[in-house]
Amino acid sequence: MIETPPNMIEFHNVTKHYSKDATALSDVSLSISHGEMVYLAGPSGAGKSTLLKMIAAIERPSDGRVQVNGQDLGKLKSSGLPFLRRSLGLILQQQSLLQDRSVLANVMLPLLVSGTSSNDAATRARAALDRVGLLDKAPSLPMSLSGGEQQRVAIARAIVNRPKIILADEPTANLDRAAAERVIDALTSFNAAGVTCIISTHDEQILQRAGRVIHLKQGRLIDGGAAPEGSAA
Amino acid sequence: MNTWIAQHVLAVRDAWRHLRRGGGGFLLNVLVVAIALALPFAGLTLLDNVRPVSEQLAVDPEISIFLTQDTPRAQASALAPKIRRILSDAGSKGTLDFVPREAALKSLNEKTGMADVIGALGSNPLPDSYVLKLASFRSAAEAEGIDAIARDLKALPGVETVQVDSAWVKRLAALLHILRLALLLLAVTLGVVVIAVVFNTIRLQVLNQHDEIEVSRLVGATDAYICRPFYYSGALLGLCAGALALGAVALSLQPLNGAIGDFARLYGSQFRLAPLSLLATGGLLALSALLGLIGAMLSVQRHLSKLH
Repeated sequence: MIETPPNMIEFHNVTKHYSKDATALSDVSLSISHGEMVYLAGPSGAGKSTLLKMIAAIERPSDGRVQVNGQDLGKLKSSGLPFLRRSLGLILQQQSLLQDRSVLANVMLPLLVSGTSSNDAATRARAALDRVGLLDKAPSLPMSLSGGEQQRVAIARAIVNRPKIILADEPTANLDRAAAERVIDALTSFNAAGVTCIISTHDEQILQRAGRVIHLKQGRLIDGGAAPEGSAA
Repeated sequence: MNTWIAQHVLAVRDAWRHLRRGGGGFLLNVLVVAIALALPFAGLTLLDNVRPVSEQLAVDPEISIFLTQDTPRAQASALAPKIRRILSDAGSKGTLDFVPREAALKSLNEKTGMADVIGALGSNPLPDSYVLKLASFRSAAEAEGIDAIARDLKALPGVETVQVDSAWVKRLAALLHILRLALLLLAVTLGVVVIAVVFNTIRLQVLNQHDEIEVSRLVGATDAYICRPFYYSGALLGLCAGALALGAVALSLQPLNGAIGDFARLYGSQFRLAPLSLLATGGLLALSALLGLIGAMLSVQRHLSKLH
């Protein structure tokens, strides 16, 4: 029987220097349980994006250890990276949709790279677009959509591979209130289905409705680093 | 297996999309590579046509052994076993024909149409002779041995002149050898040019597709998945250029054959340049695609590692 690790994500004394004078994270230790919905809060430059990038192994720690689903990312070989990323759903701060491909093609991409057939990928991508309310936009190009719609396409792409973790970096930035609420509602519904969601934001209205909030400031953990008692799946 | 095929079909589609996006740039690159390929392809076509002709000429080299005018017929006939012994001592094989002076005169009359002139001479000016046709003599190296045979034949009693026709065979063989070597060097040089052009084309593609590569990596694409469309792009570029080069060479044979036909008729020959065989054409197309693939692989390995 395979033993499930107690926490989905663990940071042990993680420090990240981009240069001598630029420290993005400083001695951060935290844990996030399976199926938790966690918000990362803090001003710009607090280290929220770096923390998310470390979970996706886009950035490596200068010091300390990061574990995702029991796997020590420091020991992860580059050949293992794609397989880690396939278990994650990434929603990045910059719009990362391919502008020359249709909305459907963008959402199909994670499935195609993992070897799913085109027909199956199209079916599952349509289902994902349906879940975020954008099925009718499937043949459109991303540039013809509003910012909120593009963000929901990014969410559809993040969930289409049925990830264990969704990482969303400022998913409501530059969106109006209604669009921001729809995006958070969509993420909340995936969390309700058991997906661990980690969302960075400095939107106070969203943080007010949040459960657990991890506060960062100038790369240091201020509070919220420990998983609540008994929350592990 | 199905997944493997599906991934490759997807890569070909992506490659085609990249190339279409390149538009005129892609066609220009195909043209540049085609010009580079056309030169060695044309040279190869020429050599392929000349080779059988040269082999045909080289298979029957002859040594003509002319006897002195006063050699009695019996003594002339007695030379045959001695000539055969010299040939076997040299380790060569061949056929030996005695040509009596009367037969030589008759042949001269028939071939040259100068019966009146020869008749005016009064007597037959031609000597008895032997014609030695050598076998297994297909290269300049083998032709070296014939000089030794000629020396031995010249030393026989009653022999006045030994005419060896190996010199021109040696010259032709040497010329063909030089041509082959020159073509090989040209092909290698232009092969490098092709690889360099494809390398640069794919480099630009990698830079243009930077966002797509990054997004693909973030959603879990392996390096193999990312590289594959670029490999196909390079191979397709090489293949299209190879086909264009072969087509251009085949088309150019038409006007060239007009001029060659006129020239060959002067020598009573029907020689014409023929296009390469299907097998050779297929081989050259595969080689073109391979050169494109090599250029793409070198470029992708170099530039993707920079994007990591």
